[in-house]
Amino acid sequence: MELKIVHFYPDLMSLYGSYANVSVLRRYLEALDCTVTVQPVRPGEGADITGADFLFMGAGTERAQRFAAGDFAQYGPAVKSLAEEGCAMLFAGTAMELLGASVTTKDGDTFDGIGLAAFTTVQGKRRIVGDVYGATDLFPEAVVGFMNKCGQIRGVETPLLTGLSLGYGNEAEQGPEGFHWKNVFASELTGPLLVKNPRLLDVIAAAICARRSIPLPEERPSFPYAEAGYAITAEQLKLRAEAK
Amino acid sequence: MKKFLAILVCKLGRAVGRLVGKGSSMPGKFALKICPDILSRVQLPEHIIAVTGSNGKTSTVEMIAAILRAGGKTVVYNEEGSNQIEGVTTLVLTHATLTGRVRADVLLIESDERYAAQSFRYFHPTEFVITNLYRDQLTRNGHPEWVYDAILPALHPETELLLNADDPLSSCFAQGHDKVKWFGLDRCPTDTEAPTGMYHDGAYCPVCHAPMEYDYVHYNHIGAFRCTKCGHRKPATDYTATALDLERGTLTIDGSVTIQLAFRSIYNVYNILAAYAACRECGVASDTAAGVINNYILKNGRMQKFTLGAHHGMLLTSKHENSIAYDTNLRYIRASHAPCTVLVIVDAVSRKYFTSETSWLWDIDFDLLNVPQVERVVLSGRYCNDLAERFSFTGIPREKITVQPDIPAAAAELKANGSEDVYVVTCFSDRDKILSQVVKEA
Repeated sequence: MELKIVHFYPDLMSLYGSYANVSVLRRYLEALDCTVTVQPVRPGEGADITGADFLFMGAGTERAQRFAAGDFAQYGPAVKSLAEEGCAMLFAGTAMELLGASVTTKDGDTFDGIGLAAFTTVQGKRRIVGDVYGATDLFPEAVVGFMNKCGQIRGVETPLLTGLSLGYGNEAEQGPEGFHWKNVFASELTGPLLVKNPRLLDVIAAAICARRSIPLPEERPSFPYAEAGYAITAEQLKLRAEAK
Repeated sequence: MKKFLAILVCKLGRAVGRLVGKGSSMPGKFALKICPDILSRVQLPEHIIAVTGSNGKTSTVEMIAAILRAGGKTVVYNEEGSNQIEGVTTLVLTHATLTGRVRADVLLIESDERYAAQSFRYFHPTEFVITNLYRDQLTRNGHPEWVYDAILPALHPETELLLNADDPLSSCFAQGHDKVKWFGLDRCPTDTEAPTGMYHDGAYCPVCHAPMEYDYVHYNHIGAFRCTKCGHRKPATDYTATALDLERGTLTIDGSVTIQLAFRSIYNVYNILAAYAACRECGVASDTAAGVINNYILKNGRMQKFTLGAHHGMLLTSKHENSIAYDTNLRYIRASHAPCTVLVIVDAVSRKYFTSETSWLWDIDFDLLNVPQVERVVLSGRYCNDLAERFSFTGIPREKITVQPDIPAAAAELKANGSEDVYVVTCFSDRDKILSQVVKEA
């Protein structure tokens, strides 16, 4: 089976090793005997994204994000229609904010997101940084990661993480974080969240495969270093969360 | 009266602090409580040089001090690196008379890039060196543009900026600023045609976001950049490395001053050039400066030679969360010729705070180690699995890679076998964990 990953703005929206999400997803799908192509989309290119099996955009600086938003607007209808059809997608870091209705910068200007969801983002002059340890309805294991943002996101009705015991959510300390609807996954957890969370990678890969009727083996692809790395980080963060 | 009291308290606090081995920020903190604008009430030296940036601050400041002193100037500087406003206050008041006159020709300040605006609220530097701005400790700093916005309010119109002409982002500080001097490197034999590394922060113009092009690149995205649209480009330089041979370790500045490099890294070249520029701006003769920086060995100990059994080793220290510094160390190993083993340690991500954040590993170009003379790579420390996962996405053959979580065990295994060179790549937070296992060389 041939699968197509569309990677939006790999050079512009590339903070915190965001690209690694594509690397591990590709390796996972290849382990399922799929042939994977990655189509990078650069600003001004006017790419055709029909037939995509997965869309990805990583974190960028607030200035890069605003520039990306101007270009990404043209893909709004296509992204929304793919989302309706159940196409899997991940928007990590500041890319998440572009799915919403609008983003207000720290200087008070407002620009539009693509409006896939109704939430709005207001960026501030304070940076919200720190480790995150949270829960999701998707699987029993904890989600681990790191937060590095300056935006407060209001109006998310279906968060990805239902609650955090460590870290800052969409709009409050320890509140719900991210966005999840159909197979659209979005989170302000920075960088390679699929590297750090093998279970989330399982879920996204399963969604991609289900849409293309690719049978999943009973034993999922597993990568020992990723599993061991997750276990240690989860243990460390759990201790931190309990000490609070 | 408040001024007198603040100075007295600071001096006493510093004396007591020295006796009990306490840090240097507390006395300044007390002084600021007594007299919040104390820094605007003291009589400062004629030259106030500040140095900030993502990399090279400490080394640049150390060399500036050495050159100025060789030029007969008295220099006061924060050698302990307490570079926020409290530390700066301690520094200034400790060296002031009780009437508030700082006894020195030059006040030299290594300034934390995020707190520069706060430090320079009550006085401003006469010369401000900004070494560079790129991804560094993103867990604290957010990202380079965030740091840029934090530094900008610290730049007083009367301050002369000494900027890196090869850095597309920090060179933007020249916009709308009258007094600017530039340092940079001409084309070098080790240059590449295009940016290198795992990410391309030079892909788009920091001013207008149009694609950028490069005539040549010294490392990562540092080089002769040129926006295809708005005119932002590498400016003509006032202080220039006109010839550089890293293989032989020779550097020529402005076509006339040739020195030997004690450490053959392009980083060292930028730090030397920045220090040279700052001192020349303060009136030091080029011969005097050249005499000091020729074969200058930094005292801050970021390089440490050692032996481990029959192995000769070198510890290359850099902040874990700084991918460009890391890449530079890896490039140094890549340029070596003899067979070697590389030990990479990530045990505590930071020495100052707890975090499990390891996304920075994905920004490091570990493929630089994919060369024949690197015969083995050993990954160690608490985050060795994250390292191993990162290495599984490099082209380095699997059979060269060993994972050993326990640092003493990794050292013992190395000690027991072979005599090849050993390079250790790690952070300040973890360096003592390996240094305790080896015999240091002078």
